[in-house]
Amino acid sequence: MLLLGIDVGGTHTDAVAIGPDGLEAQVKVATEHDNLLSSIKNSLGEILRHTDPARIKQLNLSTTLSTNSIVEGNYEDVGVIVSAGPGLDPHSFMTCKDFHVIPGSLDHRGSETKRLDNLALEGAIASCRNSGIKVYAAITKFSPRNPSHEKSIELAIGDNADFITLGHQITGRLNFPRRISTAFYNCAVWRVFNKFADAISATLDEMGLGQIKVNILKADGGTMPLDLSRKVPVQSIFSGPAASVMGIIALSNITHDSIIYDIGGTTTDIAIFAGGSPLIEQEGIHIGSHPTLVRALKVHSIGIGGDSAISIMDGSVRVGPNRLGPSIAFGGEIPTLTDALIWKDSCSCGNIEQSKAGFSAFAAGNVMEADRLADQAIGYAVDRIHDSTRALVDEINQQPVYTIHELLENRKIIPRKIYIMGGPAQAMKMDVFRKFRLSTEVPQNYDVANAIGAALTRTTTELELFADTERGLMFIPSLGHRENIPRNYRIEDAEKDAMNHLLAHLGEMHVASDGSNAQITSSSSFNMVSGSSTVGRNIRVKCQIKPGVDRTYS
Amino acid sequence: MLKAENSLGIIFFPAFDWAISPTHPEREERLLYTQDQLREEGLFDIEGIREYKPEVASSEDIERVHFCFPEAEAVATRSHCISAGGAIKAAELVMSGERERAFALVRPPGHHAMKTVQGSRGFCAINIEAIMCEYIREKYGPKRIAIVDTDCHHGDGTQDVYWHDPDTLFISLHQDGRTLYPGTGFPKECGGPKALGRTVNIPLPPNTSDAGFMMVMENAVMPILEDFKPDLIINSAGQDNHFTDPITNMNFSAQGYAALNSMLKPDIAVLEGGYAIQGALPYVNLGISLAMAGVDYSHVREPGFNPETLRESDEIIDYIATLCEGVKDVYFTPPSESIEGVISGEWSVRHRNIFYDTEGFTESQTESLLLCDHCRGLLKVETQREGGPMGFGLEIPAAACDKCRNHGYSLLEEAQVKSRYRYIQLINRRDKDYLRYGF
Repeated sequence: MLLLGIDVGGTHTDAVAIGPDGLEAQVKVATEHDNLLSSIKNSLGEILRHTDPARIKQLNLSTTLSTNSIVEGNYEDVGVIVSAGPGLDPHSFMTCKDFHVIPGSLDHRGSETKRLDNLALEGAIASCRNSGIKVYAAITKFSPRNPSHEKSIELAIGDNADFITLGHQITGRLNFPRRISTAFYNCAVWRVFNKFADAISATLDEMGLGQIKVNILKADGGTMPLDLSRKVPVQSIFSGPAASVMGIIALSNITHDSIIYDIGGTTTDIAIFAGGSPLIEQEGIHIGSHPTLVRALKVHSIGIGGDSAISIMDGSVRVGPNRLGPSIAFGGEIPTLTDALIWKDSCSCGNIEQSKAGFSAFAAGNVMEADRLADQAIGYAVDRIHDSTRALVDEINQQPVYTIHELLENRKIIPRKIYIMGGPAQAMKMDVFRKFRLSTEVPQNYDVANAIGAALTRTTTELELFADTERGLMFIPSLGHRENIPRNYRIEDAEKDAMNHLLAHLGEMHVASDGSNAQITSSSSFNMVSGSSTVGRNIRVKCQIKPGVDRTYS
Repeated sequence: MLKAENSLGIIFFPAFDWAISPTHPEREERLLYTQDQLREEGLFDIEGIREYKPEVASSEDIERVHFCFPEAEAVATRSHCISAGGAIKAAELVMSGERERAFALVRPPGHHAMKTVQGSRGFCAINIEAIMCEYIREKYGPKRIAIVDTDCHHGDGTQDVYWHDPDTLFISLHQDGRTLYPGTGFPKECGGPKALGRTVNIPLPPNTSDAGFMMVMENAVMPILEDFKPDLIINSAGQDNHFTDPITNMNFSAQGYAALNSMLKPDIAVLEGGYAIQGALPYVNLGISLAMAGVDYSHVREPGFNPETLRESDEIIDYIATLCEGVKDVYFTPPSESIEGVISGEWSVRHRNIFYDTEGFTESQTESLLLCDHCRGLLKVETQREGGPMGFGLEIPAAACDKCRNHGYSLLEEAQVKSRYRYIQLINRRDKDYLRYGF
């Protein structure tokens, strides 16, 4: 039985096949930026030449398709219909030209404080229709408390749309501006993603792999089944860094607070583990010029990588953040961090002689000894990585908490171990160790950790449950599930319901889960008081399938 | 993307696990809907606005300000220390230059806590603004500070803490004390003998709305502030002047609160009261935050807001116009004698009974200020909770003269020898010497 993992990155596409006893095949091919499908085909073809197709059970795919499409603005026009009510001016969050604000409002408990203006809504839809819009996003303020206005908009749009995203279906977390941009992006990439998904299915059929299960990676380090991803393509953005982090989990047995570095060509990605688990971004990831509600692992990127150019300004040596072509070892002209590492004999790759000659010429040109230049360049890079890491850990430790208990308990992250992967990992290991004085490890197979992470990571999902016993209502926005509850509904009932719905949702996605990975991440119950008597309870429960890998090996 | 004109730090601490009692207005639920509103608005995504975690105030921070009997740990719970710590964090953000302004959205409140603390009154145990101001002065040196209290209740605690301090201007806008707790806050209460005109009370008639408040701001508060030239402006941002507040009778709105802060431009705002937790707080807190950050707040409107029906009568406007002139006189031409205290030898002495409504007991207190020609004077307090032991407090101010300082220590020695007091506390701001005996 084989699990395949493919990570389509900016420069390389990595693919692995993992069997019960470990890595059975690995491939690295160049990514064709304008034809991601062919990169996937090529790597898959290579894998198939080394393995028995009949043993393949599953393919997990991390692709930059949605990310590229958004970053390059290569997506279709979306009709965005919002209803805001009091607060910030919704026009501040205008994502595109077909952006319409409809009068109407709900308050923080989900009560309607102003009816949705149907006339204005009809007008907005007509205007979108005239612009040839075929995909729509409908977002109203506080829709995770009450989706009725979004549903009315959906109903009114009806046949005008090939696809509609409703804000409350994305997540139950509150953040109206982010919900707008997330729903917008989801619509914008919907068609291009679905074409890609069709092509993937067709390709697998051609290769005789029609029966295998296909999952798409998400930025939170988990996967979603291909069928589900067709409805929420926005969840596939920025899955690359997450794949690498999950790879480290598979390759190393992480139990302490740790720092993970993925040193690439142009950037170093920094991730922090609390105990054995990766930290998740509190709100969601930023893309384009908008923050979103797409759940992601907390990964901080800085402009230091193997290809970062070395420069000298006023006698001080700097590295990055620019990449000015490849290293001299690979035919470039300006020395890079990699060339400095080659000079110090920490690293041997590319054309060593050419690299050393170019490096010493550059040093001589700046009246510096080559040894000193290399030391200072590497020192600068390690210092930058060190300072950014400290700032990141401080920021995490400063994160607000809302109860006295949490504030006084004051759990702080204190990293005890460092894991490094990526091209220059082995070469920089000792320099990093000397700076941090922490146990530093470079796991085996680190160069395909991303694909290994992709292959082994499990399907994740999260949901929020919101109950108001005064109204006798329970609502799970992301599932669109609304149910009447008795007045004596308690937090324990809510936790049980949330977990049951989470596992049932997994079942619907045909994912087997025994529930051991399901966890309640937060849960609270507030007595609601009117006058001087308690009129009900306001209950909020969040639960998730925690990101993780199905097996590890090292 | 929205960008704040002034960088703003918000210390949001709802204390979701603390209440005075399960159905008390000061309960877990109080800032729940405010949190929902701020999150849903995406307030912390606005460039320049950032959320911070509070510090925890230490006993020293509290005892730098208050005479606490029997001791700081007994009168202030952990929640009070965090709430005061939230204010301290706000001060630290502004003083260190990390943020231009800061808003401590914390609970429980503190403006009814007086100089001497024997327990809780008006939902307050320790005065979080005063603890913050004295933290600033201890760490960053002497500062002229103006505290503008916009809570609907008279800030009698803050008034009492700064009664004798000429470097702190305390202005309180509140519902007239003849109609609301704590029943004080009249213009004639204008400071102790050494700080006359540094306490300015502006009691407003019930049903005052946006126009009335803004008139007071424009015609009284701003001219006074312009003259006082404070280094720092603090807003004690109580929100119970709101037209939906269940325990008061005013007609102020979220727009009004935002406009007020837009004009006042406080360096630091600290949440005080405000118990219309669903209809008012989410919108008022949003309005204040946006106004402080310099972001457009014109769309912030609470449900049920109708400026026509809320508008005050012409009679009220006329009354307020007259009142503004009167309170300006309080500051610009203060009376030559304080209304409180009788001169006894070289001391000005006040005898008072203070009722602690939250806990239901009375404290009797004798406060004496040494009338000194060289400094604001040594302060001593004798206090006794009914049926309880006697406590004695001595405060030597930061700018005390040698005579007052030495006199303070000789009084301290005398008090110890006489053993009349169960507890003795010394606050020596000049030498940063803080002592407690008998605890």
